[in-house]
Amino acid sequence: MATEYTAAPYAPADGFYDELFDASGGARPHAETLVSRLERLGAGELAAAGRRRDAIFMQQGITFDLTGAAEAADGELRDRPFPLDLVPRILPADEWTVIKRGLAQRIRALNRFVDDVYHAREIVEAGVVPWEMIVSRSHFARPAYGIRPPGDVYCHVAGCDLVRDADGRWKVLEDNVRTPSGISYVLENRLAMTRLVPGLFAGYHVRPVDNYPALLLSALRAVAPGGDDEPTVVVWSPGPANSAYFEHAFLARTMGVELVEASDLVVRDEVCYMRTTSGLARVHTIYRRLDDDFIDPLEFRSDSLLGVPGLMRAYRAGTLALANAVGTGVADDKAIYHWVPEMIRFYLGEEPILDNVETYLLSDPERLAYVLERLDRLVVKPTGESGGKGVFIGPRATDAEIAAQAELIRADPRRWIAQELVHLSTVPTLDSSGALAPRHVDLRPFAVFGEDISIVPGGLTRVALRPGSMIVNSSQGGGSKDTWILDEEVVPDGRPLPPRRATVPPPLPDLRQSSWTGQQEQQQQERSGG
Amino acid sequence: MLARIAHELFWLGRQLGRAEHTARMLDGIYAIDLQAPPDAPVGAQLTWEGLLAVMGATDESERTEAPDRDEVMRLLAVDANNPSSVLACVEAGREGARVVRDVISAEMWEAVNTLRLGLYQHHLSGGFGTGPYEFLQYVKERCALFWGLAERTMLEDEARAFLHAGGRIEAAQMVVRMLRVALAPFGDEVADEVERPARDGQALALLHAVGGLHAFRRAVTDPPNAEPVAGFLLYERAYPDSVAASVDALHTALVAADARSRTAAPVLRLARLSADLEFRRRASRSAGDLLAVLGDVQDELALVDHDISDRYFAGGTQASRVMTA
Repeated sequence: MATEYTAAPYAPADGFYDELFDASGGARPHAETLVSRLERLGAGELAAAGRRRDAIFMQQGITFDLTGAAEAADGELRDRPFPLDLVPRILPADEWTVIKRGLAQRIRALNRFVDDVYHAREIVEAGVVPWEMIVSRSHFARPAYGIRPPGDVYCHVAGCDLVRDADGRWKVLEDNVRTPSGISYVLENRLAMTRLVPGLFAGYHVRPVDNYPALLLSALRAVAPGGDDEPTVVVWSPGPANSAYFEHAFLARTMGVELVEASDLVVRDEVCYMRTTSGLARVHTIYRRLDDDFIDPLEFRSDSLLGVPGLMRAYRAGTLALANAVGTGVADDKAIYHWVPEMIRFYLGEEPILDNVETYLLSDPERLAYVLERLDRLVVKPTGESGGKGVFIGPRATDAEIAAQAELIRADPRRWIAQELVHLSTVPTLDSSGALAPRHVDLRPFAVFGEDISIVPGGLTRVALRPGSMIVNSSQGGGSKDTWILDEEVVPDGRPLPPRRATVPPPLPDLRQSSWTGQQEQQQQERSGG
Repeated sequence: MLARIAHELFWLGRQLGRAEHTARMLDGIYAIDLQAPPDAPVGAQLTWEGLLAVMGATDESERTEAPDRDEVMRLLAVDANNPSSVLACVEAGREGARVVRDVISAEMWEAVNTLRLGLYQHHLSGGFGTGPYEFLQYVKERCALFWGLAERTMLEDEARAFLHAGGRIEAAQMVVRMLRVALAPFGDEVADEVERPARDGQALALLHAVGGLHAFRRAVTDPPNAEPVAGFLLYERAYPDSVAASVDALHTALVAADARSRTAAPVLRLARLSADLEFRRRASRSAGDLLAVLGDVQDELALVDHDISDRYFAGGTQASRVMTA
């Protein structure tokens, strides 16, 4: 039967790369099966699945707080079901291989950079990155100077934001090596998809994502300071009021470790403990989900109520591992981003596999003038911020807004960077009427750096749900998609089965014959009689 | 109490236990099977063929090609002619509950009766075709509701003891069978490096399939590989669905039900089995040893089943026939 889609064929947006359809409107080879299955399901079925999804997410409490505008409007946080779009994003194996290698390379370089900044400063000596640029970053952590964590790993957990330009090429938009969030949604999205629209998976070999907690836990164990007993790993959350609390609890639950808050932790004689019902228990590794600034009021912000006094003492003494290490924020600063390709060449002697988006630092007066002139065509971001806060998009700004932004930049050029506008790729997404429409997406894959770097296949695809919008942040009306990485080798359907020996259990008691029979009654009579 | 009523209650517990375990296995394996096998040795699948073997459909597994997912799902979930299917178990359980309506509380009866009605609605409305999640979830929820109501509303008497005994022996047998099937292909000798990841993956599937992943993660620090998982599901008394916990609970139920439990054959056998499990827990956990233990436990449970029917139900159930055959 004809469906709504044939009536209104999908039209990829002009000037953008669509990941499922080519420019002529035909499905790309890896998407053909999916598209035909979506057509077979039809708008009605998909809308019904969407209602079940909202119900399930609300029941399971997979919600997020709408911050920003909504908060200001009614002064309180509201829970919304996390908006998962039911059309998955599919990436073929070869594309993923490139991304994976590119990210591993980049994270290795960033890790070396953090090590360098707090130790030898070779990259500064070599004149690649100016020292004043590093030291002026808001996340530069003086107390981290000279501390060497186990295995020289600083960026245990990293999430880089990737985008595709109009020609389909992948670029890195941002590095997150402090506390990137979103992995819980990757796992929950996959689970929800297998429950809501299992039919879409048929014909694809999608690589699973659910080993992330095991990967993370083994990495956190691997970096624990040596000791005789089994290392104790905890997840440290700022508390239930934090907007990512769902994720903190998710990670603690799926790793089977304690979720602690500052008041649970105490440092005695350079060793960190948690308060338990049977006294103090040693803590070896803390996966902390709060910024450096708040972790220890004795060394960072003294007004932090979320911190543990003396934590840095234990960290410096080497009795405690922190993930991510203290001071990694210097590497995910938006101004430092500019130098990452140089870092890759400097530390690894390799050419970057993934490119940066063209970025302009505004400390140079010539650049500044060039940028101010073209402000209507550029994107301007404050350095040291995250979550899309304070981002200025030239092509969508009014003249007054442009003038105001220029004023802000002139007042303190170092606080800002400018970037060329990326024409984010699109993926078909269900709109409110149940039809497919192109919406812009980005991708945040998650890497875990323990003994080696592992990257979970896929990552969080964020999608801007408003037509034409390129703001994908969930705090600003973005949604997400399940991201499918296809398996390299297509396993034939007649998969070889493991040989089954003759240990197959005997048949189950047949439940049909369980009813009380006349024969039994007779037996019992005979017994009591005899 | 009447032997006939005790028998009905025992089998009501078994039917619902089997329905719930089957639903959990189907749900766990279905979700994993939709995706490709992982590169790390976690999260792979207990095959559909393995599931058929667990459920005792051995003749089905003689075929040359792997059984089709939808076919197995249908056979084990909604096939009314397969006495072990979820639907057939619920149907039979509901019939049993009707017989003992005067013994169980009204709320418990309602829970079972609604379960049956709900399953037919799900089945008839074609909901099973778009995805079995809601169907299976409903079974799990309703079974949990039934057992919760038994705790809350039923007098702690013989009747409740037989109901629980049925539920627990079924749970123990299902878990033992599942473990045997998952570990069986790898035999007594040490599995080589090629086979190992597959078996480890199956072990994780087992945790999914009994709903024990969360408990395992909190209780065990080892990665979810075959030996720790099998050891956990077999020996961990703190986990309510482990074999050891089910054996203990079965023992407790029979002690409560039997006025002369000190000389009762099934009670004595269970006490020995429980002590034996505790003893073996401390011994080696290699795959071969675990398989041997599982085989022994399964035989013992069959004998317990036989003893129970002999002592309380005048020895007329299928279990006795299987054992003597």
